[in-house]
Amino acid sequence: METTPAIPLIWYQVLAAILFTIGVVGVLVRRSALIIFMSIELMLNAVNLSLIAFSRQNGTMDGHILVFFVMAVAAAEVSIGLAIIVAIFRNRETASVDDVHLLKG
Amino acid sequence: MVEGFLFAMFAGVAVGCALGVVFHRNPVHCALLLVGVLLSLAGIFVMLHAQFVAALQVIVYAGAIMVLFLFVVMLLNIKGESPLLSPGAAKGFGFLFALLVCVELFWTVVQPGGQEGVMPEAAPLAHDFGSPAALGKLLYTTWLYPFEITSILLLVAVVGAVVLAKRKFF
Repeated sequence: METTPAIPLIWYQVLAAILFTIGVVGVLVRRSALIIFMSIELMLNAVNLSLIAFSRQNGTMDGHILVFFVMAVAAAEVSIGLAIIVAIFRNRETASVDDVHLLKG
Repeated sequence: MVEGFLFAMFAGVAVGCALGVVFHRNPVHCALLLVGVLLSLAGIFVMLHAQFVAALQVIVYAGAIMVLFLFVVMLLNIKGESPLLSPGAAKGFGFLFALLVCVELFWTVVQPGGQEGVMPEAAPLAHDFGSPAALGKLLYTTWLYPFEITSILLLVAVVGAVVLAKRKFF
């Protein structure tokens, strides 16, 4: 089949790095727990892109399997995380991470 | 040529929507912009001969996970945060650390050679690369144990979500 990809590997890695950085910014500067979760999804997707690009470069499909596992873990993480956010919101009427400081003493 | 145009389009949409996710005030808009990121990444996956993973991306991520997000956003009826970002020092440190991560990632990606040497030329692809059949064969032979552990993880997640939803905590 086709051998030389039209787009070099490095462009995919640069795109993945940009998306990951945007996700890091979201986790660090936003205060809503929901937006922080969305930023984590963004970072997971950037890593997925990196894995798929390396998989294409090497011609093996192990990267696809890893992406499959990442998706499963993301689904589990989102369901638990959103359940926790709903539980916090029911009791404290807030979803902002700045207002949840029970452990601070 | 066509690939270059498609890549530029998908990458531009992905980065623009990702910036929107992080800096938009309304959580519903954030969730919908995240769907935009996921869909454009699915397009890039197709360009990388990962058709099945692209389909999974659309069905599982853009379908199931984002519906869950939108459901929770609308259930809780969260208004936009009054000050969008963390106040003062936390915001400054956030951007500083993000800049550090960015520089480090770019250095890792762009530096020529490095300890492991340069990446080899792209390998020729098998005729069934990225097909569900090839992925399933690999998943149920080489990666069987991780696959089973993933099923246990999902079971634990289901039980945990039910327990969290039933009781009152915090």
